[in-house]
Amino acid sequence: MIEIQGLVFEYPGHRALHGVSLTIADKAITALVGPNGAGKTTLLRCMAALETPYAGRVSIDGLDTREAPRAIHARLGYLPDFFGLYDARSVRRCLHYAARAHGIAAKDAAGAALVAAARVGLTDRLEQPAGALSRGLRQRLAIAQAIVHGPRVLLLDEPAAGLDPQARRDLSQLLLSLRDGGMTLVVSSHILAELEDYSDRMVIVDNGRIAGGQSIALKGAARLRVKLAAPRNDLKDFLAGQGARIESADAAQALVALEGGAAERAALLAALVGAGFAVSEFAEDAKALEEVYFAQVNPRADARNGPEAHIK
Amino acid sequence: MNPELLRNLWLEASPFKLVQTAGLLLLVFGLCTVAPIISPDHAAMALYWLFAVLWGTRSAAMSVVGEIRERTWDGQKLSSLGPGEMMWGKLLGATSANWFGALPCLAVIMMPVWIGAGPGRALAYGAILLALGLFSQAVALLSSLILIRRNTGNWRLDAFLCQIAGIGAGLLYYSLWSSASIFERKGESAVVWWGHAFDLNSFHIVSLLLFLGWALVGCWRAMRAELRFANGPFVWLGYLGYLSLYSAGFESAIPRVVLDYIGGLSPAAIRLGLACFALLSSAYGMTFLEPKDPVRLRWLGEQIRSRRFTTAFMALDSWMLSTAAALAVGLVLALVLASGGALNFALAMLAMLGFLIRDVAIFVAMRALAGNKGDFAALAALGVLYLLLPMVLRGLGLSSLAFLLIPVLTSAAVLGVPAAWIQGIAAVWLAARSIGKRLNAP
Repeated sequence: MIEIQGLVFEYPGHRALHGVSLTIADKAITALVGPNGAGKTTLLRCMAALETPYAGRVSIDGLDTREAPRAIHARLGYLPDFFGLYDARSVRRCLHYAARAHGIAAKDAAGAALVAAARVGLTDRLEQPAGALSRGLRQRLAIAQAIVHGPRVLLLDEPAAGLDPQARRDLSQLLLSLRDGGMTLVVSSHILAELEDYSDRMVIVDNGRIAGGQSIALKGAARLRVKLAAPRNDLKDFLAGQGARIESADAAQALVALEGGAAERAALLAALVGAGFAVSEFAEDAKALEEVYFAQVNPRADARNGPEAHIK
Repeated sequence: MNPELLRNLWLEASPFKLVQTAGLLLLVFGLCTVAPIISPDHAAMALYWLFAVLWGTRSAAMSVVGEIRERTWDGQKLSSLGPGEMMWGKLLGATSANWFGALPCLAVIMMPVWIGAGPGRALAYGAILLALGLFSQAVALLSSLILIRRNTGNWRLDAFLCQIAGIGAGLLYYSLWSSASIFERKGESAVVWWGHAFDLNSFHIVSLLLFLGWALVGCWRAMRAELRFANGPFVWLGYLGYLSLYSAGFESAIPRVVLDYIGGLSPAAIRLGLACFALLSSAYGMTFLEPKDPVRLRWLGEQIRSRRFTTAFMALDSWMLSTAAALAVGLVLALVLASGGALNFALAMLAMLGFLIRDVAIFVAMRALAGNKGDFAALAALGVLYLLLPMVLRGLGLSSLAFLLIPVLTSAAVLGVPAAWIQGIAAVWLAARSIGKRLNAP
């Protein structure tokens, strides 16, 4: 769906993207993560054909952003990190204008506005002025405006910033429902904890480059932390023999990725206990994503500044 | 209906605003009736200027600058609206409340003309004033579309500058039109253009409408650029051609005092001189206004080095085309002057071209070194070069060295050419170096 090859982007005196190459999976949610100033927003704006790269190419649905920017605009929705709404107008009118501006015929615009409002759960707010909505509801309205024409691709720049926990959860559910509806989503975020809720893949952007050179799958394999009360040197080999992918391991503990669901996890635990391992902890590791992230993003700076240096 | 026009009507032509405007009109015309200090048509003219020009230019400028301020411009750029829809939607929609106030005034202005000089004259008068308002607003919109490319981040200043540009254009338009009446009062009823006599009034009307047309074309092209369409150089080259031909036709309108000074020059040289003057104005104006993005300049350089000449030519900015056109016409003029025996004029012309290259390079270098503040720094540098240093030289009794700074027609003219071109080449080298320096920074 989205192919990026050798993308270079420069601001006067500063190269923001250094030959980025990437393939974004179709009908999936890909998270762009990285420190502030890493180049996430520039990468998204290049994908949205809002910026012309210095070199390289971005193609969406087979169309080059440099050659056919308007055709690409018609195929995507984009929500910038700092977006604005026409505050004096009602939700209905905002959506009606967005529908008309995206080429939906006048007779169909009202219907499209209602559908978009329903998708983001704003049906009961149609007559409310945009300026009177809460932060979370404004975010929903902005997303509704971006999807009112049924784009194939939706690009969201820091959509969860400034949202309360409930609004974040609602946003996750909304993004998942859009993906399940067949949309390809690229979401920039620096809140790692919630990425696993909705992202299928993660791309780490650091200093204008893709850390590790490719995206990382987040779904399909559970990350498990295994700790032993009595260390054993054969822990790593045993886990590998059980089909687990070892991410890190020593005699006392291991972090592994295991394909499958609860049955496979139960089988692995039973095998460990059956082989005489004194298992003191066996659980999904919530911090696993952070470990992957910090392993990729400038580890020396991490050691120097601590995690807050990278993640707001 | 054009969605952008409809949206602007929803926003701008609110019942409250319309009632306010109607109230102001009723108050002013009521006062004119009760206490006739000023006639209704004069009051209407003042109100027309207020609504259509003073306030209208602000509304037109804010139609784009306001979108930047409210962070809604990206959303608009991603819409399916074409540049024409977007331009007309903003130009007419954002100023709808202004026209609600201005159009009744126009009717009041036309009424005495209709009674006194007949419907034809009144309608022509109305058309001119209507075009005046639209022209001012179009220039303000065009300025805003150029200014947002510079990404200054100061919307108040941007809106003010665009308003000033629009009002300035309106005043220029009005003064040209008023000059027709002055000529008429002097008994001159024709203007000679390219050797043909045209009815003064009709000529001015057609001229002004053509400039309005070009302003609208400019808005459309600037909007195309914002919506990521590639513009190409041909429309701007067409405009430069029009500007040159239009200016060159006024050979007979040159004041006698100037003719006495340049006496002996051939008509062809005078026409080329007029065209060159217009092109030089365009080159300096566009070089100041347009962003001279160092990244884009390096990209252009790479296209040329890679022999992708067509790609580079299609991507040339207006300031580059204007400068190239001024250089080309200037060189032809220098040849014509030299062949006509006016050697000092030819040398001064060549020096002027060297200074043009120097000045443009100073703008480029300053932009690369100081960002958005660079243009004003370049203006200051030019002020020093053209005003301060010549005055200092004069004060020191060294006026004979003025050829180092300005084109001269004295015996030192022959030294002025190498002096100007050496400065030009040095400034180009400095500009290229400053662009490279900025781009190589980490």
